[in-house]
Parts: sequence; structure tokens; C-alpha cells
Amino acid sequence: MVKLTIDNKTIHVPEGLNLLEAARNNGIPIPGLCYHRKLTPTGACRLCVVKIEGMRGLVTSCTVEVTDGMKVTAFDSELEDVRRLLLEYLLYEHNDSFDNTYSDELRELLIRYNLDKPENRSLKPAWQKMNFKADDSSPVLTYDPSKCIKCFRCIKACDEVQGKNVLSFTERGISSFIIAGTGVWGESECDGCGECIQLCPTGAIVEKPGRDMIRLDRIEKKVITTCPYCGVGCQIELLVQDGRIVRSNGVEGVSPNDGRLCVKGRFGYEFVHSADRLTTPLIKRNGKFEEATWDEALDLIAKRFTEIRNKYCPEALAGYASAKCTNEDNYLFQKFIRTAFGTNNIDYCTRLCHASTVTAMLKAIGDGAGSNPIEHFETTDTLFVTGNNIIDTHPVTATYVKQGVAKGQKIILVDPKWTPLVRYATIWLQPGLGTDVALLNGLVHIIIKNGWTDRKFIEERIEGGMEAFKQLEKLTSSYTTGYVSEITGVPEDKLVTAARLYATAPTAMIATGMGMSQQITGTHNVFSLINMMLITGKAGRERCGINPPRGQNNVQGATDVGCSPYNFPGYIPVINDDNRRRVAKVWGVPYESLPSKPGLTTVEIMQAACDGKIKGIFIMGENAMISDPNLNHTEEALKRMEFVVVQDIFHTETTRFADVVLPASSWAEKEGTFVNSDRRVLRVRKAVECPGKARVDWKIIHELAGRMGKPMPNYRNESEIFGEIAGVTPIMAGISYERLEQGSIQWPCPDKDHPGTPTLYTDSFNTATGRGKLFPVEYVPHKEKLDGEYPMILNSGRLLYHYHTATMTRRTKALKDFADKAYVQVHPADAARYNIKDGSRVKIESRRGMLETIVHISEDVLEGEVFMPWHFTESQVNRLTRDELDPFSKIAPFKLSAVRISRI
Amino acid sequence: MIIEKRIVLKNSGIINPESIDDYINTGGYKALSKALSGTPLQVVEEVMSSGLRGRGGAGFPTGTKKKAAASRSAGTTGYVVCNADEGEPGTFKDREIMENDPHLLIEGMIIAAYAIGADKAYIYIRGEYYKSIGRLQNAIKQGYERGYLGNNILGSGYSLDLEIRPGAGSYLCGEELTLLESLEGKRGYPRIKPPFPAEKGLWGKPTLVNNVETLANLPGIIEYGSSWYRSSGTEQTPGTKIFSICGDVRKPGCYEVEAGVTLNDLINDLAGGTHDGLPWKTVLLGGAAGTFVPYSFADISMCYERLREKGATLGSGAVIVAGNERKLISLMQSILRFFRHESCGKCVPCRAGTAILHEKSMELTGKGYDERLTILEDMVNHARQMAKSSLCPLGQSPVLPLESLNRHFREIMAAEQ
Repeated sequence: MVKLTIDNKTIHVPEGLNLLEAARNNGIPIPGLCYHRKLTPTGACRLCVVKIEGMRGLVTSCTVEVTDGMKVTAFDSELEDVRRLLLEYLLYEHNDSFDNTYSDELRELLIRYNLDKPENRSLKPAWQKMNFKADDSSPVLTYDPSKCIKCFRCIKACDEVQGKNVLSFTERGISSFIIAGTGVWGESECDGCGECIQLCPTGAIVEKPGRDMIRLDRIEKKVITTCPYCGVGCQIELLVQDGRIVRSNGVEGVSPNDGRLCVKGRFGYEFVHSADRLTTPLIKRNGKFEEATWDEALDLIAKRFTEIRNKYCPEALAGYASAKCTNEDNYLFQKFIRTAFGTNNIDYCTRLCHASTVTAMLKAIGDGAGSNPIEHFETTDTLFVTGNNIIDTHPVTATYVKQGVAKGQKIILVDPKWTPLVRYATIWLQPGLGTDVALLNGLVHIIIKNGWTDRKFIEERIEGGMEAFKQLEKLTSSYTTGYVSEITGVPEDKLVTAARLYATAPTAMIATGMGMSQQITGTHNVFSLINMMLITGKAGRERCGINPPRGQNNVQGATDVGCSPYNFPGYIPVINDDNRRRVAKVWGVPYESLPSKPGLTTVEIMQAACDGKIKGIFIMGENAMISDPNLNHTEEALKRMEFVVVQDIFHTETTRFADVVLPASSWAEKEGTFVNSDRRVLRVRKAVECPGKARVDWKIIHELAGRMGKPMPNYRNESEIFGEIAGVTPIMAGISYERLEQGSIQWPCPDKDHPGTPTLYTDSFNTATGRGKLFPVEYVPHKEKLDGEYPMILNSGRLLYHYHTATMTRRTKALKDFADKAYVQVHPADAARYNIKDGSRVKIESRRGMLETIVHISEDVLEGEVFMPWHFTESQVNRLTRDELDPFSKIAPFKLSAVRISRI
Repeated sequence: MIIEKRIVLKNSGIINPESIDDYINTGGYKALSKALSGTPLQVVEEVMSSGLRGRGGAGFPTGTKKKAAASRSAGTTGYVVCNADEGEPGTFKDREIMENDPHLLIEGMIIAAYAIGADKAYIYIRGEYYKSIGRLQNAIKQGYERGYLGNNILGSGYSLDLEIRPGAGSYLCGEELTLLESLEGKRGYPRIKPPFPAEKGLWGKPTLVNNVETLANLPGIIEYGSSWYRSSGTEQTPGTKIFSICGDVRKPGCYEVEAGVTLNDLINDLAGGTHDGLPWKTVLLGGAAGTFVPYSFADISMCYERLREKGATLGSGAVIVAGNERKLISLMQSILRFFRHESCGKCVPCRAGTAILHEKSMELTGKGYDERLTILEDMVNHARQMAKSSLCPLGQSPVLPLESLNRHFREIMAAEQ
């Protein structure tokens, strides 16, 4: 702490703070417009000038660090005269019209300095003469140079906060203004995150969506909640006016996003008020959906499911939970499936994304979740990113990465396909699809050969110590750089560099994505990755570990609270008698009634349905008919089932096959919690009412449980449900809504006084022995045969602008304006080989199905490989994918299908 | 009748600037050998005791700058940057050196780099100085060939690389911190001071930024010693100074003289007097960011200390002579148009202030006596506030010509036709 005096007031502030912040934190309101807590000081507006004893002239307080004994004059008539004149200068060049659609920091200062009325001003404005033209070309924002005070906040927001660096000034002096890219916003690399809007102090950059509607003086409420998109869990503030969401801002100063958002988080709320929302229960009669009352629908569902259970067996029923619903929804859903259906056939789309990662992590290190807090993506020395298009799929996590790179962080990127992270990467390895185990065994081999291992860590923290290590050494000894280079196509020197960068870094973290997990060898891929992590000691301490950034808002939480065919809430196996006893007690049911046999997984459920073993399914907020592999097979499965219920907020590709459709709630319509990628339990808060007769998800399930004769307690609110979750889920035992009001908490949090756990495994791994386990695995070439008929490999993935099956994002204009068309990326050499031109319409066929789409010729993909985003219903990628499964995790190989491509 | 005393321009017009042999034959690179045979500290101390002051405009003691950079760069690598972005209106002395004796600058830079322990040096040069760039490129090539640059210079174990970086036409990039931004490939915006370049300069490393003329003085100081250097000039402005004299004189050009000669000696003895033989109306000393002086200053001694006492500046050595017929309002408008055009726009007072001052100066035309006095007063007030609150020297500069005009010529300007 340092002691200083400002205007004779003595204050104590932490060292390293800048004087402006120090003053403001102590109630000394030095004005200023260009400074923002998140940005480096600019010193452009000059409003924060002060006098400091011993320093010449006036000094901008934002650019000065506090020192002990500093004597500062912040307010005297000379300083105030300068400030008033500076404000007048701003008015000279600034259009001060105000329409109440944005918060205006300049206007507040004008009022404070009595300059809001034109008659008090001494200078005639000149901005009208400057002929500034607004740039309206972006889908999400408008920039009006006449309202711009050139404070640099947008430029720095884009560069320093988001790491995108799209904005700059053009022209000079009083003629200068902001441009994106080379001049036209809509043609620039701006991806619409809107950080510039959030940090603009004068409304020069304003958003387009909702702007014709919003009036700040008519805002009814501001609700802080969690973003409904990817698993970063950004905290957003929703502004509600006339019962509608009219704006979403990032919440400053809290984890995980500190105000940052991506384009979906900021603009992706429009779907909530879509006219397409389901507003009443629907029952299919004679092949047509007819509107029904809740009683009709729920009675019918209860009756039919009960009939199936009684006629066949409980295992003839199944449920798909939802990664988009809250913990409370999902918790009651799995409880419903286990008690009312009486089966463990409960799973959801996590099976299709990180099941293999979680399986490998549970076995090797003990927890199926990321080991590090999001902030460490910025501060770790080296980041190993594999199969993870982190900039597009976890845009806000990527902002931490980009800030890390700016400070010298090294990035090793492994991806067969170009992703935007290539631009930030120290080294990019581009292995052929399906060769990850060979690649990683090769890296392990190089690490061992060069002595880059951590012997102490191996001896103290790995099960079997050096003996186990020797086995890995033996297995990987045949993976010489030459051999591995041959398999993967990665040059030998790059393998060595990558191994060195990772192994010799003081700290290193891993981010692993769908590219690793969505393969037949998914679990083995992650085992080999963990092997590398463990022998180099890059786990069990801060800024070291392995992280699977999760794709959906609550994909982490849904498994945490028991939506798993194997586990109760908190990863407690169902097969164990004691576990069932304990859970049965909390649930108030006879322990014998809880099924002990593990259930079927997502794809297995559909396969069993095809085989006639599963007759009825309750799908909550899932769209299997886009997201499941081998859709032709899924379609057959849904058709063969006797009774299908889909609970959703829209008609989807899946509701077509339903017998009853229930109108449910969006995230904005309910209270609850999500768990994000770094195990943070985050509150979700209600902003608006459900449309029509739509109901909150857990209330529907609760009602249904009663009608099936398995009533649940009368929860008065979501907080009570969470209380029950905490009672059965040891990793969340210390968490309550009351505590969450103070901020998010990272599990494990075993008791009320526990602060939560930012970094996992600092003392021990969560395995039976407390030590990490090596799983040496051999590379096995993929079985999907490439032949004359199907000579190419299809890879699939996501886009920044769309989310999962696009039911939400394609009902948001701004996101559609950025991207709304399916396509396939084809390497130029392949395009020449098959006589395909950019923009050609092509047919893509696999052994399982076909689709049509448009060609983008691109060097982003390797020769012989093609890539498609899978969001789009008009080109359903999963018509082509396989439903063969990784034997350990039951994940399907979405990343690897043999296809052929031909012009139409 | 005064005559020139040439230290920096000693070879100018005498040797072939494209020939390193010519330079060596007149004693070139001897100073470098001498410097390399001693310690870097000895070089710093010699420069300190010479009393050499920066010739770019501010007149900061060069030795102090070197010492600061040298102490900071201990253990790290630093840089020497030659500021050859000669942009001050009326200033063309550096060009004279670079075109006519490029090796002198290079020798001075190597000595400076040795003194602070830099292994890389840059010449940031005005982009339009094609001839200078060509001559310097040639000289650098020769320097590498002869072992004055590159690895292990003259067998001393000391190594230095030197590169030229042309600017792109911004006045502000002649300001040392803005220059460093530009040199790093960024847009030419001024940095916040502190830190000063000696602490955190180019790429955040300790950096010595010196003007061409300053660096070109080093070989002489090292070769003949600081007391030799101090034998010319005045107590506080030792040595010589190149004045670039232009405007309404018969023989405009660069003249190197001992500091301390009088203004009229410069104009009459060297530049051939005014066109019309009449006493001049005003002289603008130091360029646009300089001060206007009236004829009563004709006998003032041209050194930092005397000029300062009288509220005038030496600056870069620009001497812009306005003859009897010149209109002061038009001169002022021209200067203010220049500042408006060159303001980078980063800080509010300069961005808006330079435009406001220019607009107000345009209002002077067509206004009556009293109104003009009011406007002038108002302009000076604005310029003072700008000087107080601006981020970099550009916004702090308009007050210099404006205040001096207002002090010496307000009635004349108010009555000007």
C-alpha cells in the first residue's frame, strides 16, 4: 500500500495503481473519457489532468502510477478551467444530439460542467462542416464519426481486450475518424463481438438490433444472468423493456468474461421473442399436430409411457436430457427417468462431444472437467491446443489466449484444418485426420529421448512411478520422428519443436476439442495426450492441466447433476449399492426401485430403438435429427418407436417425429444455474415471461412425475431444487443460491466454508490412489476405408455465428446476416481433380447418405480432406457420418467419414 | 564581418560524398578508432564535458542523454536512433550533412552506439530526402565493406548494425517518441512521457535518440577533445551551430558559425542581407514551432541562453527572414494551417485547438483594429491552454509563434492592410 494525498485528503491505495483509478476509488471524481479500467492508459482526452508536487505542468492522472508521499491537486480553478475548455473543444467537433438509446459519459460531464445548454458554450460547433459519413455496413452496429470523440477506447477494446485489432484511425487531426479494416465495416474482419459498442463512451458506435425499440428511460429491469450459448458461461446483463429483451451487455468485473462477449452473447437473444416459439402443447392426431391443453398432453404422456413400461420393461424407455437446460431442469429430468421410468437410459449430446475426453480424464486423473480457471489461458507460458477451433467456438476464452500471446505466450496448435488461431500460433502441426495417437506418441517419444520429462513428478504423482513410465517409454519407443512424420504428414523438425515448446515450458496447459474427441479412438487420443501431460509434470499446479472447453452452456452441468447412464449426480456410479442407498434416501424412494444396471448412451439408445428394444423416448431440448450421427438411422429409430415426446421451444427437425410436443422455456424465462467449462456454477435469472402457455422445463417434468405416480417434493423454487442437488452431489455440497448471489463458485466445493477450487489436482489426483495414471496406447489406423468409390475424408465442425443445430441462432437476424449458408471447403487440388469451381453446387455421398451443398475452394483444408459446418438443416452433415462408436466412451466419429464429391 | 567556422560542414562541398576514401583521407574514422581504443564511459564523459547540446531543437545536453541511455542499457541491448526526419519548416541543415558528408554522420552514430553499448542503430529519415537516402545507403555499404560497421568493428570486438528507415511525411514523426512508434511500424502517434527513450525506447529497450547535427559533432569532439570543442561558442552553447537561413534574403542557405554571433551578422554577412536592402520586419527563429522576433533583436547573440532570456528560441537553427513588405497575418495563418494539418489527432486540445486557432486566424482578415486585438488575445489564451494540456510538443508549440507575435506585433497586426 502507498499513502498519498489528493486535495489534502490522505488515501491509502495498492501499489501499481494509476492515480486516476486511485482517486476515483476513493470518491474523488476526477473526470475523464478515454480511460477505461480494461485498457492501457491513452492520455488522449486530457480531462483527468492534475497537478503533482515535484512534476512540471499538468499531468494526466490516468498515465501516472501512484507513489508513496505523492501530493496531488485534483481540483482547483485552473484545472477546472482547462477541463471546461477541453469539453468545449469536444463540443466543437462533436454532434451532441442524444436519443436515449445508449449511455453517454460525455453528456454526463457536460451536465456536470454546465455545458449541456448551448447558451453556456463559447465556441461555435464545427462538426457539421466536416461532412462525416456514418458507416452502416456492419450487420450489428453503426459508427457515426460526428458523435465520436476519438478516445481510442473502441480501438483498444478490439485490440487489447478482444485481440482482433480490426479498428484504427484514418485521416489526421480534426478530420480523423475510426475505420474497420481498410474502410468499410461490413467488409472488414470485424466479427461483431460488440466490445467497441460496450466501451464507447458517447454512442458513436451503437448496435443495430433492438435500437429502434430501446429507450433507456423506459427500461423495466436489468437482469444479470448467464449467456445461453457456448460453455464459457459469460455473465450478461439483459435490459428488458415492455416485456422484451432489448439489449445484452457483458457484465464488467466478474469472471469468467469480465465484460467481454462474442457476437452470439451480445446479439443472439432475438430468438426468445421469435414468432416461431411453441406456445401450446401439441398432440399428433392422424399425422397432424393439433393444439391441446396441458392436462390432455400430460395425461396422454403419462398414460403412454406407463403403458410401455408395463407392457415391456422400464428399459424400453429412455430420455434425452439437454445441455441447454439448467442444472435444476436436468437434475429433475434424470431423477424422473430413474424414478418414473425406472431406467438409467438417460443421456444427452455430451455423448456426442466430449464423452471420450471425460472418460479418459476420469480414468487417468479423476475429474471429467477442465483443470484450470479461464484466466490461466492468459497467464500460462505455453498452450497446447489440439482439435479445438477455440477462436470460433469459445470466443471469449480465446480473448484470454490472445492477450497471453500479446505478452509472449507460446501456442502449439494441432489441427488438420486452418483455424483463426493459426495466426497466433508459434507452431502449427497439421496431421492427417485420425492420426492423433501416433502424433502424441511421437511427441512423448521425443520428450523422453531428450530428457524433457519431470522425474520427480513421475515418481511422486504417477501411479507406478518409474515402472509405469518405463512401460510408456517402451511402447512409444517405436514412434520415431521419421515414422510419426510418415503417418501424420507433419515434418520431423516441427514435431521436435512442438515437443520442446510444451515440455520445457515452466507452465503449460492443454485445450482439447472435438477434433480429438469425436473419433473412434477418441478415448485413446485423450489418453495419449494425458500421458504427455503427466510425464512432463504439466498438471497438478496453477497454469498447468488439461481443459476441454465445453460447447454448450450447460453441457458440463447436465453431467454434473446426473444426466448420465452410468452416474448419479456428482459422478457417483449407479452400479454401487451404497451409492444407490444414499441417493434413494435423499430422494425418498425405496433403494430397490433405483435401477442398478447402467443405461444406454445417446447413440446406443437410437440403435436399440432400431432393434425394437426401446419403444418410447422423452427428449428434452435436444434436436437429435441434426445432431446425432448417421441421421438416416436415427430417423428410422424415431419412426420405429411407439411413443416419442419432445419438449422444446421451437419446432425442430426432431419434433416432426414426436407424438406429443411440449412448449418449454428459453433460458431467459427461468431461474436456475449452469456450470461452465471451468466448473463454475453460475446463476441464470429470469428476465421475461414464457410465451403463451409455454412452461418452465422443470415444472413440466415435476408435473409429469406426479401423473406417473412418482411425485416429487413440492419445490417452492429453484433454490430448493439446488439444495437437493447439493445434498446428493458432493462436489457441489457447499454451494447454495445464497452463496451464488456473491458470485460464481468453482466445484469441487465440498462444504459451506469452502471457497471453491480454481485449479484441480494441486494436492492429488481424484483417482482411487490419488495419483495420475498413464495409459500407453498404440496408434490404430482408422477403419473408415478410403477407396475408389469414397476417396475423400469429410471433417465437420462449427462456426462462430451458429450454435448447435442452429434452432436459436438462425432465428436471430444479426447472426444470419453474418452466416446463413451451408458449404463445403475443398482444397484447390481436389477441386481441380473433380472439376469443381468455387460456388459449384455439389453432391456429397458417403456409404450412409447424401447431401447437396455449395463449394468453397480453400487451402484451409488438406488435400484429400473436406470440411463442412454441421449446423445447417438444408445440408445435414450427419446424413453422412457413422454411428460406429468408440468402445470406451460411446462417442461417434463425426470427424471422419469417407465421402465422394461430384458436381450436380 | 563574420565568417563561418566549420566543424560539421568541414567536408561539405570539398570531398566526394560517395567516396569513403575521400572521407578517410581527410581524417575520417580516426575518431572512431580513438573511441574504440578507450572505454564507452570515456566517450560519454568526453561528450559530457564538451557541453554539446542537442541540435534538433530542444537543446538538451547530449552527454546527459547518453549517460542515461548508457546506464539503462547496461546488461541489455539498447538502440541508437538518428532523428533525420528534418520536418521543421525552414530547417534544412541535416540534409546538407547527409548529402555532402554521410560518413561523418555514420561515424558519429557508431561512436554514440559504442558509448551506450547498442548493437543496432537506425537512421529515421524524412522520406522525401531521396538524395540523402541514396548517399547514406552508399556510405553504409562502404562502411560494412571497410569494417566500420558489422561484426567486430576494426578488430575491437564491438559490433553494430545500421539501417535506414524512411518516414512517410508526418511532421510529428520528428518528435522523438512518435518517431519510435513509427519506427516500430505503428501509426505516428506520440507516446506518453515518461518513460523517456533512455529508459524505454524502441521496442521497450533503452534508446538514444539524437539529431543528425548532434551526432555529426561527435567525431570532432572525440578526435580533438572537449576543451577544443569548448574553445568555440559560448559558455552554455559551446561549439558551432548550423543556421539554415531562408526567406527574404539574397543568399539563403546553411551557414555553420560559432554559437553566439549576432542575428544581423548572420543575415547580413552570410546571407547577403535582405532582398530590398531595408531592415527586415521580423525573423522567425526555430521554424513553425519557434518565435518571431522584431528588428530590435538584430544584435542578439545567437545562443540558447541569450535567446531564452529574451523569450526567443534557437530551436533547430531555422532563420526565416520576413522583409519589410511581408504581411504578418498571412504568415500567422500559414503557420496555423501547418499545425492544423500536422496535428495527429490523438489528444483533444491539439486536435480541436489547432483547428480552432486556424479558424480564428482566418477571421482576422477583414476585421477592424479593435476586433483583431480581441481575437488575438483570445487566440493566445487558447494557445496557452493548449500548451498546458496537450500530450506532445506539437500542441504545446502554437503558443510560441502566437505569443511572440502578440508581444511584439499586436498593434502592427491590428492595423495591417
